[in-house]
Amino acid sequence: MIQLRRALGGPVGAILLAFFLAACAMLVAGVSPLDGFSALFVGSLGGRQQIAETLVQTTALLFPALGISLAFRAGLFNIGAEGQLLIGALACGAVGAHFAAPTPLAIFVLLACGFVGGGIWGGIAGWLRAQFNANEIISTLMLNFVAISLATYLVSGPLKSPAAVGAETAPLPAASWLPLLIPDTRLSIGLIIAILAAFVLRWLFTRTVFGYELRASGEAPDAARRNGVNMPRTTLLALTLSGAIAGLGGATIVTGVLHRFNTQLSPGYGYTAIAVALVGDLNPLWVCLAAFGFGILEAGGLAMQALADVPKDAIHVIEGLIILVLAARRYIATRAEAAPI
Amino acid sequence: MSAPQPALRLRGIGRSFPGVRAVDDVDLDLFAGEIHALVGENGAGKSTLANIAFGALRADEGTVEAAGTVGLVHQHFQLVGRLSVWQNVLLGREPRRGWRIDARQARERVSGLAQQNGLEIEPDAYVDELPVGVQQRVELLRELEREPAVLLLDEPTAALAPAEIDSFFKTITALAQRGTAIMIVTHKLQEVIAYSKRVSVMRHGRITGRFETAATSIDEIARAMVGGDLPTVAQRAAVTHTPCFRMENVTAGSGGTAIRGISLEVAAGEIVGIAGVEGNGQTTLTDAVAGMIPHTGTVTFASAQVRTGVIPQDRHREGLVLGWSIVENAILGRQRSRGIRRGVMIDRQAAREDAQRIVRSLDVRAASLDAPVKTLSGGNQQKIVVGRALLGDPQFVLAYQPTRGIDVGAAALVQSRLIEARNAGAAVLLISFELDEVLALADRVLVMYRGAIAGSFSGAQIDRARIGRLMAGSAA
Repeated sequence: MIQLRRALGGPVGAILLAFFLAACAMLVAGVSPLDGFSALFVGSLGGRQQIAETLVQTTALLFPALGISLAFRAGLFNIGAEGQLLIGALACGAVGAHFAAPTPLAIFVLLACGFVGGGIWGGIAGWLRAQFNANEIISTLMLNFVAISLATYLVSGPLKSPAAVGAETAPLPAASWLPLLIPDTRLSIGLIIAILAAFVLRWLFTRTVFGYELRASGEAPDAARRNGVNMPRTTLLALTLSGAIAGLGGATIVTGVLHRFNTQLSPGYGYTAIAVALVGDLNPLWVCLAAFGFGILEAGGLAMQALADVPKDAIHVIEGLIILVLAARRYIATRAEAAPI
Repeated sequence: MSAPQPALRLRGIGRSFPGVRAVDDVDLDLFAGEIHALVGENGAGKSTLANIAFGALRADEGTVEAAGTVGLVHQHFQLVGRLSVWQNVLLGREPRRGWRIDARQARERVSGLAQQNGLEIEPDAYVDELPVGVQQRVELLRELEREPAVLLLDEPTAALAPAEIDSFFKTITALAQRGTAIMIVTHKLQEVIAYSKRVSVMRHGRITGRFETAATSIDEIARAMVGGDLPTVAQRAAVTHTPCFRMENVTAGSGGTAIRGISLEVAAGEIVGIAGVEGNGQTTLTDAVAGMIPHTGTVTFASAQVRTGVIPQDRHREGLVLGWSIVENAILGRQRSRGIRRGVMIDRQAAREDAQRIVRSLDVRAASLDAPVKTLSGGNQQKIVVGRALLGDPQFVLAYQPTRGIDVGAAALVQSRLIEARNAGAAVLLISFELDEVLALADRVLVMYRGAIAGSFSGAQIDRARIGRLMAGSAA
């Protein structure tokens, strides 16, 4: 009973409240909320194809959200998951277009490319922070723009597939594709890899010396510094690993869904993932659940637009409201507990 | 004869936290013009009661009636470090001219208030650049600015030097004479005897003793606090001295807290005590020893593998991760040491055993080992920091104010543990602003004044009066 009350006061309550506010907004816009929401849920959970598509979106959000969680737990506001994901996908796509090997090896190499690519991108911000104390919020954000420009240049020039109409790399050989989890859908085993990554991250946080020091530097930097934590090293490693996980996500989109790289591959997963990580309380397993929730919104949004004539942007309103309600709730909670015991 | 109306009246106050009955059915009256002392062990519920009286916490049961504003000076200062003194004092109530803050009037108001209360302060100084003692004046001024009918002070002298304590009580006494009802929450029984009119003793959330100060003694209060006799402090044993730690001609820091040309040596099996008034470079010395700041001169240990234990000055910022459990905090600083680290992983069983050892050896009162340390009382938090520093047979212990903010019983325990570490062959560098503590523990005493060693005493030469004069800056 108490647990139910806490859940209602927590994320669940926030989501319900956000939906309520979104319903109000739909009423104002002259759409029946019932139609809108039923389209949303039918479009995301109404059948095998729909569920698979929701899980595709879940996977795409989960990787960057896990990366962000890792950085945030270290007290580093990595808002550059979008760029890290893109560079990871680019590295994977660029190599994958010219790389032929038996399936397991090909997949391993291509995913490693994404991991390393994203890691380098995150690592740049980490190095700047560790070496020059450059604010990582600014550097990671700026690196997003560098990433998109770099990717756009490369796929419209040097890496452009001669056969392609748009700006994209040549397709990956079928041997390099991630096996599908549900046949005849777009859902690959990327989802399994993402969930495994969540468990690894949880293990890292709770069981390892590195995770311990990472959390210490995030929660109490002064105490960490005093107690033998090498802060520059932890910062560099945390942002590198954070970027690497996002980059791995990019690679699973390339090898699992699109089978080539193009610059439109992310509709802003790296940004939405910030909300996913926060709603999941930066706890890897809760983040999985949050990613599923946001996956429903992402996948159902299109259906909502098509069936109920609610613009897909309304989904972003709901996402924004969830964050707002959660933030407000946390603020109220800290205020109530502010008094020392 | 009608009894005077109390300025603050608490009736049947009760408050529980998960696993603890913090305050249980407490009645308390404070009268205008009196200084009332509330004493008790760490975690006895004093701070909780003060916070309820102030209104920061709600009581589960009971009533609070006050005849005016109630002010509370927290044990842990609630200041904005990057604002100036006057900005802190008038925060939220700045005098305005149109839509702007009238800075001149604000400054005058703060200096006027300071003067009126005999508190020396520079209104434009930034709070984070002030020593702890002065920061407390800012806290006090902020409360006084609201002209409270009742003023509650939670551990007001925990961070003050002896001279500051005297002037602090002068201020408080004058305030009481002008009709404010004052309650101080404290561990320091000498102060209770010297300055209060009445004493209430709390134990396990209840009031277990009420005394007129004039008619009681430290012993009687202490027994009521601990519910029996005090633990005795361990005896020093003779041990052989081999050099363990040496600093030579070390200069570091800048401004008022800089240290200049400090040389000292600590041998295994001895406690070297640094006596001195706070703000004479002790923090810089500590940082230099811990290798946290750049310095000239040399700091050397007998070998590179000397196991060290550090009791840092600010347990909240430097000693603990407040959101973490006792278990997680128990290994902070030793997360890479043998016995805790297993490859890339942390041996959680070993961490739990360490936590148990700390809790047992220093009698930490906590609902469970998995409770976040922020839910513990300040004294119990300090015990964890001390216990951790002494875990694993350290060869060198740097102890900065090891008994800050803890009650007499716990302080005796902490002091015993330090002496035991010494007897076991540890080199202990003790920095304390309480001369009594230095004299009780140290084999050798160094006096620090304005960033330099002003005198050195050992064995039979230790002379309290001369040390006191050197601390005050006169050539003895």
